[in-house]
Amino acid sequence: MLAHIDEAVYGIQKRRTFWEVLTSEKYFKWTLITPLLLTLLVFMLYPTFYSLYYSTTEYGLVKAPVFIGWDNYRYVLGSAMFWTALGRTFKVLVISIAVELSLGLTLALLWNRKFTGENVTRGLCLLPLLISPLAMSLMWNYITQYDYGVINLVLLGLHLGKVQWFDVRWALYTITFMSIWQWTPFSIFVFLAGLRGLPRDAFEAAKVDGATPWYTFRRLTLPMLMPLAMIIVLLRTMWLIRLFDPLYGTTQGGSRTELLDFLIYRIAFTFFDIGQGSTIALISLFLTIILCAILFRHLMKAMGVVK
Amino acid sequence: MRRRVWFWLATAIALAFFLFPIIWVFLTAIKSRADALHVGLDKLITFSPTLINYQELFSHTPIVLELRNTAIVAVASTVLAMVVALPAAYSFARFNTGSGHLLFVTISTRMFPGAVAAIPFFLTFKELGLLDTHIGLILLLFYFNMSFATFLLFGFFREIPEELEHTAMVDGYGRFEIFRRIIFPLIKPGAAITAVFCLVWAWNEFLFAFLFTNLNARTTSVGLAAFWGTIEIEWGRMAAAMTFTILPTLIIAWFMQRYIIRGLTFGAVKG
Repeated sequence: MLAHIDEAVYGIQKRRTFWEVLTSEKYFKWTLITPLLLTLLVFMLYPTFYSLYYSTTEYGLVKAPVFIGWDNYRYVLGSAMFWTALGRTFKVLVISIAVELSLGLTLALLWNRKFTGENVTRGLCLLPLLISPLAMSLMWNYITQYDYGVINLVLLGLHLGKVQWFDVRWALYTITFMSIWQWTPFSIFVFLAGLRGLPRDAFEAAKVDGATPWYTFRRLTLPMLMPLAMIIVLLRTMWLIRLFDPLYGTTQGGSRTELLDFLIYRIAFTFFDIGQGSTIALISLFLTIILCAILFRHLMKAMGVVK
Repeated sequence: MRRRVWFWLATAIALAFFLFPIIWVFLTAIKSRADALHVGLDKLITFSPTLINYQELFSHTPIVLELRNTAIVAVASTVLAMVVALPAAYSFARFNTGSGHLLFVTISTRMFPGAVAAIPFFLTFKELGLLDTHIGLILLLFYFNMSFATFLLFGFFREIPEELEHTAMVDGYGRFEIFRRIIFPLIKPGAAITAVFCLVWAWNEFLFAFLFTNLNARTTSVGLAAFWGTIEIEWGRMAAAMTFTILPTLIIAWFMQRYIIRGLTFGAVKG
């Protein structure tokens, strides 16, 4: 620091050490970020280019990869398998996020007040969020077993008849339900924090003007919670596209439940078709990045980082 | 009065919904084999508890090794992720380095389908002999935690007022001194929350652990998955293994709830 002052005030030029250059006003921000950039280079660019290369080859681990150009892409984009998996992934995405947002907002509105046992309630609600998704999917699997699962036993006790929770009709919804169970608390907490942070005066003004509760909710509360809903949508989209554990813990892709990430796993790691697996992986990466780039822009605007 | 009844009824239903499968893990863990497969409502909650599942778990499966591996991998990957993410997040938050684009690239690694990274790394690790080693899994989990940690810390750094740094500069502190003496103490609580998130994520991670470890470095998730797919599934023993998997995260969730909830909102909410 003194060196800078000497330089500025007296015009004395001193040779700066390497450390001083690194922590200088101009370079410090890049010094800080270098480890991250190096990691990204190794862990992100390298596998992406590696995959790009393999996606243009026919490679089954045994023989050396053979260059086949666009054939993998042509095959994947023309196959029903890929489009069904993609369609299913979007179905799960839309249902899951819609239910989580509405259920989360309802419970947040319910608990947005002072009541005895407030902290206990919140603490208990937090538990599903931090539990191993694989462990929970295996537990749900046990709970929804046809013959001895609790849910069917209770249904039978109520004379409602048993349900095959993992047959082709229900399996995808059962899996969606498992993800909703685990992640609804996330929406609850984000909305609760948002409701606590709402400005008081606007609501008092609305009360003075004689606005009905429903009108206040629709015109004041909802718009103010929009940025938070955006956060939930962005993060849940990112996580849901990669949904894998609940599938592995239940149907393993059977009963018409194969989603994108599981399809890649099956092709690359059980069929060992590295070429085709890489192709689907890259296409799905491309779709995810486009989708999330749009969501991310909205989020950054909502957070006020960029105008 | 009527409104209070409705409020508590709704709260009770919601809590029962969220807690039911968790409670069921602990119940199943102490049920005998016959009771776990019993058809009928009579033995769902009233049964004679047994520790046979735990005995069999320790004698039949490498649960101790799995727990040790999971702990090693989770802690090491978290430490690495924090070392890289702390300075980077500060740079993003204070200097807007890369004007939002670099931050997006960083976060986008979290969107990568697991398999995009899995295929090339599987082949590379095979060449390097890193399959089924702690280091291999640590590197992968570090990479996936790093981006998330950067994003979380970014939110926390943005809460620290810039004026503090200006004052410090007037006092003659250099940039590095400011980061070390002024900013670091202030970011400690945020850093603690971020580290907890990384730990929990690494502890629960399944896909990479499943693909990249086999016998030596396998984690509890891989051990759990091994129960499913056998012909006669040992639900009780599996639930016993689950209790070890979920107990640490439940304890963390309970004692750090206030901080975790703050972290979950990503600094987007003030207050």
